[in-house]
Amino acid sequence: MEGRVGGELEPIFECRDLDYSINLPTGPRRILDGITLDVYRGEFLTIVGGSGTGKTSLLRLLGGLTRTTGGSICFRAKAVDGPPDGVVVVFQDYSHALLQWRTVIDNVALGLEGRVVATTLRERVTKALEMVGLQHCASDYPWQLSGGMQQRVQIARALALQPEVLMMDEPFGALDAMTKAILQDELLRVHRDTGTSFVFITHDIDEAVYLGDRVIVLGGSPGRIYKSISIKLPRPRDQITSRQAAAFLAYRAEIHAAVRESTRSDGY
Amino acid sequence: MAIKLNIPGTLTILALAALWELVVRSGAVTFEYLPPPSVILSSWRTLIASGEMAIQTLHTLRSILIGWTVATAIGVGIGLLLGLSSFARNWSLASFDVLRPLPAIAFLPLALLLFNFSLTTELVLIIYASVWPVLINTMGGVTSVASRLYDVSRTLRLTRSQTLLKIIIPAAAPAIVTGCRLSMGLSLIMAIIAEMIANPHGLGYAVISELQAMQPGRMFAYVLFIGLLSLALNAGLVWTSRHFLSGHRWAKNDHA
Repeated sequence: MEGRVGGELEPIFECRDLDYSINLPTGPRRILDGITLDVYRGEFLTIVGGSGTGKTSLLRLLGGLTRTTGGSICFRAKAVDGPPDGVVVVFQDYSHALLQWRTVIDNVALGLEGRVVATTLRERVTKALEMVGLQHCASDYPWQLSGGMQQRVQIARALALQPEVLMMDEPFGALDAMTKAILQDELLRVHRDTGTSFVFITHDIDEAVYLGDRVIVLGGSPGRIYKSISIKLPRPRDQITSRQAAAFLAYRAEIHAAVRESTRSDGY
Repeated sequence: MAIKLNIPGTLTILALAALWELVVRSGAVTFEYLPPPSVILSSWRTLIASGEMAIQTLHTLRSILIGWTVATAIGVGIGLLLGLSSFARNWSLASFDVLRPLPAIAFLPLALLLFNFSLTTELVLIIYASVWPVLINTMGGVTSVASRLYDVSRTLRLTRSQTLLKIIIPAAAPAIVTGCRLSMGLSLIMAIIAEMIANPHGLGYAVISELQAMQPGRMFAYVLFIGLLSLALNAGLVWTSRHFLSGHRWAKNDHA
């Protein structure tokens, strides 16, 4: 892993005893409880858990889109009180997250406009489009593209900012299995080529194991970290051979058991 | 935008006009002030040739465009403010809800008292009537911008003005344009009414004065022309908004 500093992992996110509650008409409801978690530089961290365990809330807290109600989150030793520079969130609902009136290339440029000079902007946008294989539909509108391609646009928009951390909230949840596999491999390639850290939320355990250096299982309500498992499968990973490896199946079984246990102990 | 002639629809209109002509000429209907289409057309030619039609149209068109532009500016401005600020909405929406159902024409006597028989009265009525659709649609367009887009704006670290100009206004643009089109229709109606009653100029006044001069052919010619003006204004607005909103999906479809 890249994040080693003299053999040590270099944490970029540090969460300590994180609590998060929301106020409902019926009273406050705790969503997350006592989350202590580090995210390391260059790491591909995947987070799984049943529905209602606060996965999305945790991602929004890390991405600076929501404020915590207890505990602390630091990104690069600075308390997070808004989206930190270098952290970008990619959302599941690509059709709502893209500006439908802008072409693909203009969507990808959105975060750079007014920040970098025109030549740099064009360069970075082109590169981001190439990374996700969209250079041929730069002038199409999002609504002319398939779901998988729209999600690629959103990923390219995030990559154009050259983020240190890419946060993804079930980005492939609405896609078919084949498109999902292709996009997973594209993401792994981006991870390898750019050294970007990933925090990737999914409810698909196989996906979590296939992509991750580390899988965190969130469970219960309010959500707690139920288990953290390092995935020591060799990279680059392959859709066929990696998924057939005995170690892959063992990780998968271990995480399944953990997810099942975490929901059962809650009385579901 | 290719103009396609609706052949069956046009044939029906021509047939009805022919029937009208026939019924009036044959004496099947004896109604002194109902001229046949041929008389209306010849009056129309006379009015155009004499330049009267142009003078009246220019007055009305100018009133509509000034009134509508001012109303649109006010409506978009207040609509954006109300859409963006729940504080402004909470404090002012009740007042607007009281004012809005009052028909603008009910204010005509008041406007007459204040501004006399003048262009000002005409413009005030046009503006008052046509500010509402733009205002309400702009506010609605802004409040219904998907919350996800605000997340996007924040995670891409856009500034407030970037969020307004690049996300909120474009996202609300279709609703704003709809409001502008509704306002254009109201502007025309209010201009004609105001000219009939409160400002003796323009097409509305022309209709009334031909009525008083017992010239039904010329009166109908003006009425017909008001209809054509309405069509042209709407078509112009549709055409402009399509170019202005070229990226919006609905702009590609036919919404005329």
